[in-house]
Amino acid sequence: MTVTRVPANLYTAVQRRRNRGLTGLYLVVAAFLVVYAILFPGLFTIGGFSKFTQNWFPLALVTMAQALMMLNGGISLAIGPLVSLGAVIAAVTMGGPLGVLGGLLAVSAAGLFIGAATGGIVAYLRLPAIIVTLAGSFIITGIALLLLPRPGGYIPDWFSDLLAGHTPVAFGLLVLFLIGWKVYLATPLGIGIYAAGNNPVGAYRSGVPVERVKVFAFALSGLLAALAGLFVAAQTGSGDPVIGTPFTLNSIAGAVLGGVAFLGGRGTMRGVICGSLLLSVMINVMFFLGFPPVAQYVAQGLIIVGAVAVPQLTSQWRAKP
Amino acid sequence: MTKTKPLLEARRVFKGFFGNPVLKGVDIALEPGRVHALLGENGAGKSTLINLLSGALQPDKGNVVVDGQPVLRFSPAAAREAGIAVVQQELSLAAELSIAENIGLGALPRRFGLIDYRALSTAVAEVCERVGLTEPLDMPVGDLSLGRRQMVEIAKALFRKPRVLILDEPTSSLSAHEAGILAGLIRKLRDEGIALLYISHRLNEVQALCSHVTVLKDGVVTADQPLAGVNDEGLVRLMVGRDAGDLFPAWQDNPVGNELIGLEGFSAGMARDVNFRACAGEIVGIGGLVGQGQEDFLLGLYGAIPASAETAQIAGRHRPLKNVEAANGAGLAYVPADRKHEGLVLPHSIASNLLLPSLGDLVKHGLRDRAAERKRVADLTRRLTIKGDVGRPVQALSGGNQQKVALAKWLPLDPSVLLLNDPTRGVDIETKREIYLMLQSFAREGKLVILLSSDTPELVHLCDRVAVFREGRLATMLPRSEISEEAIVGAAMGLSAKGAAA
Repeated sequence: MTVTRVPANLYTAVQRRRNRGLTGLYLVVAAFLVVYAILFPGLFTIGGFSKFTQNWFPLALVTMAQALMMLNGGISLAIGPLVSLGAVIAAVTMGGPLGVLGGLLAVSAAGLFIGAATGGIVAYLRLPAIIVTLAGSFIITGIALLLLPRPGGYIPDWFSDLLAGHTPVAFGLLVLFLIGWKVYLATPLGIGIYAAGNNPVGAYRSGVPVERVKVFAFALSGLLAALAGLFVAAQTGSGDPVIGTPFTLNSIAGAVLGGVAFLGGRGTMRGVICGSLLLSVMINVMFFLGFPPVAQYVAQGLIIVGAVAVPQLTSQWRAKP
Repeated sequence: MTKTKPLLEARRVFKGFFGNPVLKGVDIALEPGRVHALLGENGAGKSTLINLLSGALQPDKGNVVVDGQPVLRFSPAAAREAGIAVVQQELSLAAELSIAENIGLGALPRRFGLIDYRALSTAVAEVCERVGLTEPLDMPVGDLSLGRRQMVEIAKALFRKPRVLILDEPTSSLSAHEAGILAGLIRKLRDEGIALLYISHRLNEVQALCSHVTVLKDGVVTADQPLAGVNDEGLVRLMVGRDAGDLFPAWQDNPVGNELIGLEGFSAGMARDVNFRACAGEIVGIGGLVGQGQEDFLLGLYGAIPASAETAQIAGRHRPLKNVEAANGAGLAYVPADRKHEGLVLPHSIASNLLLPSLGDLVKHGLRDRAAERKRVADLTRRLTIKGDVGRPVQALSGGNQQKVALAKWLPLDPSVLLLNDPTRGVDIETKREIYLMLQSFAREGKLVILLSSDTPELVHLCDRVAVFREGRLATMLPRSEISEEAIVGAAMGLSAKGAAA
């Protein structure tokens, strides 16, 4: 009898396998970072690093939010509106009696609630996420505009300085989010996302609480997007009911660059974080190279198509006899 | 007789869908330490009965009984708690998760709310050992072949330490070697006192493993008896109420015509250096363990994957066909094994599926000729005895009838070479027989039929010659006089030295 090969540490072995195939992405990210560092040597000062990570931070959060949805086999069109709503709620409540803490709680609660409600509709009524979030995006945008018809509100200066000042607080927070995400994916509910996204019927039969997995993931996704909005409000010092709009498509772009599959059940944390970093650096590099904004969009689109096509083509090429 | 108490029973269960009764008062009792066979044609109600026993469905009338106690609200969770595990035909695995995570899914050991990977790895290693899974536990299931995934599925069921194990056609995608391991495992589980329910269309397996049989026909139990003293013919008679001699039609010696396929050094995908000849009027079988390059050989012939050859002659063309269109043009037709994904457009109607390959030639003034289409559909459904409304979506049909549609749609093109990939997998006996007769009539009409099959008796009874693949190469070509189950399985396992150099 042959003996089953048991890896000494199953968790690390599984992670290593799941992240194989990201080498190409690492290299591309590294290359862009090098170019960026040459163009902008200030990256290596505390201030420069802080600014850089502050630009990246909200994009990283919304990419994670979108990745959670895509792993579940859906896609969210409500990420941008949720960012806006987060910003608006922060700007409206932070001047209130409970101050910053109250604002933080209100934004988190709104994100979790909207996410969970969306997830509940998708999971229990079995509606496609793209339709539910499309409807949700109109509703959320409407609510944001009702709360704050034009940019304004109040964010305390010290709070803006803390998050978007000259210290790398945003980077530290990002590390915390990543640890949280890693822990979440090491729980049965977290790993259930992969099963529920890839083979929902099979997952149900295996005893995975598919509905609960979905509602939980959607709630977390809503939380991340709303917190990204809070950060954007701190960055700009005010609330803006439409500021989040570009984040919907950028979050999809970041997730796709990071190798998250549209059909669900495929994608990794490392990929997601690299994808959002790549997108962020790309935008910065093109800005420094003096690309006109329109050309930036074209280049961004081409790079995204390329990022999806290249692995596909290389695997086809490898498969040839 | 009934000294041991049944662990799981269904008592007089009724179940219907949309007013269409499927089970009409069925009884079954699974006893510990016994392998119980459940036989019946497709549509007889087997899947529904399994779903009732595993809590996925509720009976309309009657009871599911666990340990002698009727359960009121049975659910998959309650079934799991009662120690009932099911290995379904459709796999319940997630491709991106590792073998270990898949096996543990839904019952993952945890520590402080996190998955306890150390406990998982030791527990999983143990069940993998039992089912003979030697792949690293951290390997994603998506990297495994279909047969290995099936073994993971079985390991997953065992991981939950079931008292009752229901296996729904577990061997349909297993190689002979894997099926052998599974058989040993089933016997071991039986000796440990587990109650097993075994569903299979392969009678030899049922004969080898099971000691008791329940036969369903049209939602009614037609037999519930020990298997001792019942032979294959007897089993078939119980299932179809007809003699078994009819299962396989008598082999026919058809006149052999022109050479339609002649290959030297043909390679495609996993298939390497294959020398192969076949003529009009022949039925040539392709056998071997699952995944030895047989499928790639067919796909390469059909131009569906890139192929190369030293010399090639395929239906008059002198090089491997470039693509499927060229293959169809040359008169080749391919019926895939995975009819649900590759062979049919499930939500579309029977009629539009039947018309799909020949849509181009039923044209009047550049538009579709509805009258001619209706006529063709009527003609095909009559020839293939597909009953009922042709406007129904194909997914509403049973597996066997779906397969008939997947085959029938090629007939209007009048192909000269038919490449069939496991056409009877998961198909009930009645339809199997109809398909066999169809294949013979194709050969009689002077077509070349190439039949890839995982069902060895099928190759034995139908084929003029059988090519056995092993590790991507054509290991042995058995002529009619040498075809036997032993010879095919032996060659597949690399036992026969004879002809190995061919």
